[in-house]
Amino acid sequence: MQRMIRALRRKTDLYPYSLLLPALTVTTFIIFIPLVYTFGLSFFNYVIWKPHEIKFVFLGNYKKALEDEVFWISFRNTLIWIAGVISLQLVLGFITALLLNRQFFWRSLARSLILIPWVTPSVITALMWRWLYDGNSGLINDILVRLGILDRYFPWLANGSTALPAIMFALMWQGFPFFTVMILAGLQAIPTELYEVAKVDGANPMQMFFHITLPMLMPILLTTILLRTIWVANSLDIIFIMTGGGPGYASHTLPLYSYIRAYKGLDFGYASTIAVYLTLLLVMIVTMYVIRILKTEERFR
Amino acid sequence: MKKTAALFLLGIIVSTLLFAGGKQEASGKKEAEVQSVNFWFHLDDPEARVDSLIQKFEQENPGIKIEAERVPWDAYHQRLLTAVTAGSPPDVSQVKLWWQPQLVELKALEPLDKWISTWQGRNDIYDRVWELTRYTDGKQYLMPLQMVILYMYYRTDMFKKLGLSIPETREEFLDVAKKLTRDTNGDGNVDVYGFGIRGARGGHDWWGAFVLSSGANFEKGGLTTPEAIAANQWFIDLYRVHKVSPPTTPNDGFKEIIANMQSGRTATTIHHIGSAKGMVDALGDKISAFPVPEGTEGRWTSFGDEENAIFSASKVKEAAWKWISFLATKENNLTWQKASGQISVNKSNAEADYGELSRFVKATTESADFAGVLPAHPATAEFVESVWPTTMQRAFLGEITSKEMMEIFEKHFYGE
Repeated sequence: MQRMIRALRRKTDLYPYSLLLPALTVTTFIIFIPLVYTFGLSFFNYVIWKPHEIKFVFLGNYKKALEDEVFWISFRNTLIWIAGVISLQLVLGFITALLLNRQFFWRSLARSLILIPWVTPSVITALMWRWLYDGNSGLINDILVRLGILDRYFPWLANGSTALPAIMFALMWQGFPFFTVMILAGLQAIPTELYEVAKVDGANPMQMFFHITLPMLMPILLTTILLRTIWVANSLDIIFIMTGGGPGYASHTLPLYSYIRAYKGLDFGYASTIAVYLTLLLVMIVTMYVIRILKTEERFR
Repeated sequence: MKKTAALFLLGIIVSTLLFAGGKQEASGKKEAEVQSVNFWFHLDDPEARVDSLIQKFEQENPGIKIEAERVPWDAYHQRLLTAVTAGSPPDVSQVKLWWQPQLVELKALEPLDKWISTWQGRNDIYDRVWELTRYTDGKQYLMPLQMVILYMYYRTDMFKKLGLSIPETREEFLDVAKKLTRDTNGDGNVDVYGFGIRGARGGHDWWGAFVLSSGANFEKGGLTTPEAIAANQWFIDLYRVHKVSPPTTPNDGFKEIIANMQSGRTATTIHHIGSAKGMVDALGDKISAFPVPEGTEGRWTSFGDEENAIFSASKVKEAAWKWISFLATKENNLTWQKASGQISVNKSNAEADYGELSRFVKATTESADFAGVLPAHPATAEFVESVWPTTMQRAFLGEITSKEMMEIFEKHFYGE
């Protein structure tokens, strides 16, 4: 056996591929094939309870989406959703990481506690926040009324202009620990000599933050933001449980709209089209992002 | 020595294999005789069980095994339809009447007429139920299982305190609802709302009670007549103008409606006997029910039903028929209702003792004459699942007018 492996290593360069094979196989079946299938489905008029009307319509669904009011509402909400949630998570995550990087006696306990939102399943997070926001007996309303900030209970999730921000706030709570953990790891990798040298040169803490901490963290920040953008853009479970996309279309995002078209309307063709548009949007964001990263890295080099 | 031990081990392994093989063969043979019926169902009460019925059936019908699978209600329709399209539906499933058009369109259901014509229990099921569940092609695909009729819950203590009597018409109802909407602790904020409207999925029953009773109907053009639009406006105004329903109305679903009633946040709401037990547990004799008030053209309330259907892809149709006819038979059906909290479809159970729930049974039976169903149209399922709630919510938020709302519905059913 040992000899065989060695022979394989020597004679061919297939060995690394053979190690990747299991992962590749799984990915092919659970991601790549469905992806291609969805792409194919998006060219069809495919409502599952109308088997006689299934037909190839080429770009018909794509055209229909561009003329669909709900598509554009969802599109706009998706952009707000991504930008809002990511920046909130980044800011909160950064602040928490800086705090946790300091020395205090219960630091290790605090570091574990901070992970609670992250390890809580989305469904539980969503149900919890739904009851926190509840307009008849919710805790948030109760506190705000007691503090005198509100004079009566407010229906956070039943109001068209507060529903989406309220859910974004819940998702911020759920996702910020990921930023904290990544940034904390980054902070600890910064050599302390840099700060010492800066101190000798008479730099103040502000200057040290902007000229040492931030640039040193940049690669980690960029990667984390990219990862989170993709996750956040695709997340629909929290919205689905908290408002179901409502009231009206107030909290519809593209993945949610696609889900509703597929599973409430059973219109899989159109739902696939929306999903493909979302994919295109993400590919665009990611491409722009990668280009920027490459440029930034060059600058720092 | 080693050799002996190895032989001994080998002996053990071989004999185990032989023995296991033999056993497997025997059980394999037995399994061939047993027909297993895959049965999908749902019950509102998470603690309710129907195991005793399954046991009883399996004892009476040796050779048939019921593999019951409890499917969450929120995902039921979607899971059933996707299972059908994927070619692997259950043998039997509990279904809603408004799913029938889609399922028939997919040729997923087995007509039951050949069995029903010779079934002795058929005359014990209400004629009206047979009538409502028969499909437009004249065939009977659905086997009645349970029924409910929606009525109005009210807080007897609040009515008494304010000297209110049971409203007969929608105008009287509005008056009562306005009086019930009040600040009870003097802090300047409304604490009790007169009417709990369900603005989220499932709320079409609340809407129907006031809109379908006042000139709107699901015939072509029936939703966009001036009367229909006015009736819809009247309903929207309950929330927007008169504010007799809590501010959370657009997002309130089943849980919120029931919780608000139980906590005293609302003084009336619409639902059916399925929730009566919980109401009585929370409020005792402070809660009772009356039939929904009269609209401008009579009364309308929702007939809520559930049936069992056999799927044409099933390989055990005879066994499946035995199971669904078993469930529709007198005492079995009554046992089922203990778990479902609903009402038996058997005439012979009409006199059954519902104990402390009898006042809700009364409101149910008094509503029987004007109870109706949503149209047998393939678009009804999506109307219920997403079109009604989103459109209603937009109207509640003031994003669209009553006319625009009704035009969206008309377009959903009949196109441009």
